[in-house]
Amino acid sequence: MAEKAFLVDTSKCQGCRGCQVACKQWNGLPGEKTEFFEGPEYTNPAKLSAKTWNHVIFFPIDRSNADRPIWTIMHKKCFHCSEANCLNVCPEKAIYRLDDWVVVDQDKCIGCGACVNACVYKVPELSEINHVNDAGQKILKRDKSHKCNACTLNEREIPACVSVCPSDAMRFGYRQDIIKHAQARVKVLKAEGFPNANIYGLDQFKGLGVLTVLRDKAEKYDLPLNPAVVDVVKTEATKDVYALLSSFTMGIPMLKRAAYKVSKSISKDA
Amino acid sequence: MTNHWIDIRNADVVFIIGSNAAENHPISFKYVQEARDRGGKLINVDPRFTKTSSLADLYAPIRPGTDIAFMSSIINYALQNDLIQKEYVVEYSNAAYLINPAYKFNDGIFSGYDSGKRTYEKETWKYQLDDKGIPKKDKTLKDPNCVYQLMKKHFERYNFEKVSAITGCPVESLKKVAELYTSTHKPDKVGTIMYAMGTTQHTIGVQNIRTYSILQILMGNMGMAGGGINALRGESNVQGSTDHGLLWHIIPGYLEAPKSKDVNLETYIKNYVPKTNDPMSMNWWQHKPKYLISMLKAWFGENAKKENDFGYDYLPKAHKPVPYMAMFEDMSKGQHKGAIFMGTNPVVGGPNTNMIMKAVEKLDWMICADIWETDTSIFWKRKGVNPANIKTEVFLLPMVSSVEKEGSVANSGRWTQWRYKAQAGPGNSISDLDLIDELFLRIKKLYEDDVKAGKKVALPDPITKANWNYRHAGEHEADPHMVAKEINGYHIDKDGKRGKQLENFLIMKDDGSTACGNWIYSGSYNEDGNMMARRGSKDASNKIGMYPEWSWTWPVNRRIIYNRAAVNRKGEPFDPKRWVVKWTGSAWKGDVVDGGAKAGPEAKNPFIMTAEGIARLFAPALNDGPFPEHFEPLETVARNLMNSHQLNPGVTVSDMAKKEVGSAARFPYIGSTYRVVEHWQAGAMTRNLPWLNELVPDMFCEISLSLAKAKGIKNGDKVKISSARGVIDSYALVTDRVQPFKVDGKMVEMVGMIWHFGQGCESTGDSCNTLTPSVGDPNSSIPEYKAFLVNIEKA
Repeated sequence: MAEKAFLVDTSKCQGCRGCQVACKQWNGLPGEKTEFFEGPEYTNPAKLSAKTWNHVIFFPIDRSNADRPIWTIMHKKCFHCSEANCLNVCPEKAIYRLDDWVVVDQDKCIGCGACVNACVYKVPELSEINHVNDAGQKILKRDKSHKCNACTLNEREIPACVSVCPSDAMRFGYRQDIIKHAQARVKVLKAEGFPNANIYGLDQFKGLGVLTVLRDKAEKYDLPLNPAVVDVVKTEATKDVYALLSSFTMGIPMLKRAAYKVSKSISKDA
Repeated sequence: MTNHWIDIRNADVVFIIGSNAAENHPISFKYVQEARDRGGKLINVDPRFTKTSSLADLYAPIRPGTDIAFMSSIINYALQNDLIQKEYVVEYSNAAYLINPAYKFNDGIFSGYDSGKRTYEKETWKYQLDDKGIPKKDKTLKDPNCVYQLMKKHFERYNFEKVSAITGCPVESLKKVAELYTSTHKPDKVGTIMYAMGTTQHTIGVQNIRTYSILQILMGNMGMAGGGINALRGESNVQGSTDHGLLWHIIPGYLEAPKSKDVNLETYIKNYVPKTNDPMSMNWWQHKPKYLISMLKAWFGENAKKENDFGYDYLPKAHKPVPYMAMFEDMSKGQHKGAIFMGTNPVVGGPNTNMIMKAVEKLDWMICADIWETDTSIFWKRKGVNPANIKTEVFLLPMVSSVEKEGSVANSGRWTQWRYKAQAGPGNSISDLDLIDELFLRIKKLYEDDVKAGKKVALPDPITKANWNYRHAGEHEADPHMVAKEINGYHIDKDGKRGKQLENFLIMKDDGSTACGNWIYSGSYNEDGNMMARRGSKDASNKIGMYPEWSWTWPVNRRIIYNRAAVNRKGEPFDPKRWVVKWTGSAWKGDVVDGGAKAGPEAKNPFIMTAEGIARLFAPALNDGPFPEHFEPLETVARNLMNSHQLNPGVTVSDMAKKEVGSAARFPYIGSTYRVVEHWQAGAMTRNLPWLNELVPDMFCEISLSLAKAKGIKNGDKVKISSARGVIDSYALVTDRVQPFKVDGKMVEMVGMIWHFGQGCESTGDSCNTLTPSVGDPNSSIPEYKAFLVNIEKA
């Protein structure tokens, strides 16, 4: 079991989006060109991408309980699953576990998109651009998969997103402490009139690295209770075929991507 | 703020009205959340369901511009059910004071009204005095002329049903708010009220705040930990700017700006220094002459002598009130030759920006000093004008940002914190201080040269005789420490030489032997050094989060003002768990006590800044009445259900503004304006930043599902919003967080707009202040940005 975890407490989030900006600042990621709001309410951009490793989703207000309307504002990034689909499907072992975190090794990534398809939370994305940040670091590489790396690439003690949260909506610490705190929060929320309050991420994919406290049922926030785990037999078969084919690709990414496609169809992993 | 940010966590009930603190004061909200973690409750009253509402225990809607009605129903509920802190009210407020029997109130009008001038003669609002000249009191609160009885009668008209019809807030919600908030009337239960521009920016702005004060006094919440009236200032140093007199009607330390009728020092003192015969009153403003004369000594040095009224004549005297709106009206009439805009962007931030842009066209020259090109600096190339026809010469001066200069910043809680220069600014940018310093020294030189050459120069003395020394010998830049030391003040010996720094204002004199730039800051930089730079993190003995060794707070490092009201006449804390000060019989413990440590609680009244020494439930000093009364905004969809006057009778609408007043027939929806966390004020500092533009790239408004349906507008559609003053383009955010109000039996819709956009910077958009009216409060002259009339159509 992972040692550390993130907490996202939506019942304390003020929606300042300091987390979204801090991530871009720390990593030197470019701002996205948006128009109006591309997601619900103030959500911008609409989804996570190679350029946007965390974002804040403003769900439409739920007035079904007139006395207690709920307007949920939720920080979302890679959930860092313990049994990560993306890691399991990656044919090049470019996605690996660094301490508790699921990280993409850009040198190994061939841009096959397996991880993009496998992630039920729609987290990783292949970058359309190269981007060098102010520190001279090639932070985005074209055709490679990018996502949150829990500030393990540009390492810091507390991840950038957590460090700027003004309202205790985000924490980073020992998993057991985070769980204990989250459980106490759920108890308080139930007493405050939110009977469906819960913690998301205790069980999914054998435990997520990001635990989310919610005032209402997780499904309402596009967080499946029983998300589909990739078929390990099939992915292993694909990877076996790929291992064979890739020896003929001379390390050329385009050929590697083609090899992966062929492997997938041969092993009927679709 | 009477209290400070950290202290919010001590509240049992936090009442946020006229503020979206979670959005616009994110750090303040950290302490609101702490209060909730400690079992406190949060009430939020707002026209929209906001980020603040999303974390509140109790949310209630309110139609913009109806705060007085809303709050008065709570005050009435407290009075009718006797849910008041009786001991506090009798001892520490003017509830028991008897008012002139000639005082009357009828149909929205108080006695003394001159309908021609739209002003009040306040004679009948005065206290009845005994033969010693002390106000008469009836501590049984039964006399029909006592404030308590007058107020009970005044507020009983505000019952929940009527107030619901005015505000659009359901009766049930009003009752819940009233019940929860009045739970703080118990001596050891405390509530705080946090407000911002949603309260102030109305033609009844000051009286809106009065309703909060009245409620806080009735609850016994002033001076307490977790209590007070807490204005959330809109910028990081706007507290400092008002402290130092950057408004039209005050000079540093909240002294009155002299007017033409204040012909000399003696007259000024006669007009503005209050007197009392009550031995229980400290009447702190009796010290005003010391503060003014010390300020003149700081400003004019050896040229300020007893014989010349200490240079009082050098101060400009206003011949008429010149608030923001009047200044631009004057400008549009060609009465100004030039203007300097530093850190301000009026073509986005001012009311009726079309009028403002036409006004600045009349200037010969204009200086914009900012860290970016501002919308104001490029007013001459706006849509629809030919730059060739604009004669104004525009100078854009590059300034450093807040982290590229050293100095102090005063936050809303009056904490004045010193900060350091992190790095040099880019290119030729300089600090505000250096700009002012250089500008003044060059102007002074021009005056001196002309005087020397025997040229006829108008009023050279205020410039040539100024005591202006902010550079070390041989330096080319001003030193902020020298400014801070002058603000703190210093002794002047008999030979006129500068002596030691003043310890604080308690030792200030009115004979020219002390100099002080701003009395309330005296003590901030004394012989012990720069107190504002202190970073001690030890709490005080009362353990309520005052951290008295962190930075410095005016006055005299007092963290909670009116703290004498936190104890009874014996000096025992009303709330022993969260005590602020206590009297041991010979000394005070805890916070720095108000009004000096010598006087015990039985000897002096706690509200030291009023001449009576007590809090005013009935306030005879305001321009529009001693009690708050509901009036409608200048532009409104509703008739006034409280009396037969629509607009506040104390408000005068200028001839220019009168020409552009919209009616509900043409503009059927309420317009209101506000900010979002991603952009800063008029936007010149944030609309150039790609990460922030990613989050909020465009001007948008928020409308309800029902208005969207009626107008055929879908979420994300482009719309045109119009008022009697102009029309703007915007995107529409259709949201169920905005709902129509049921006002006087009919449904009323609102169009809420952000005001950060303008034509400059990387991301551009129309300014919603094109739509806002140039009319303001009769006491503060703040414009009515928060309630006006608009129409909206799909573009």
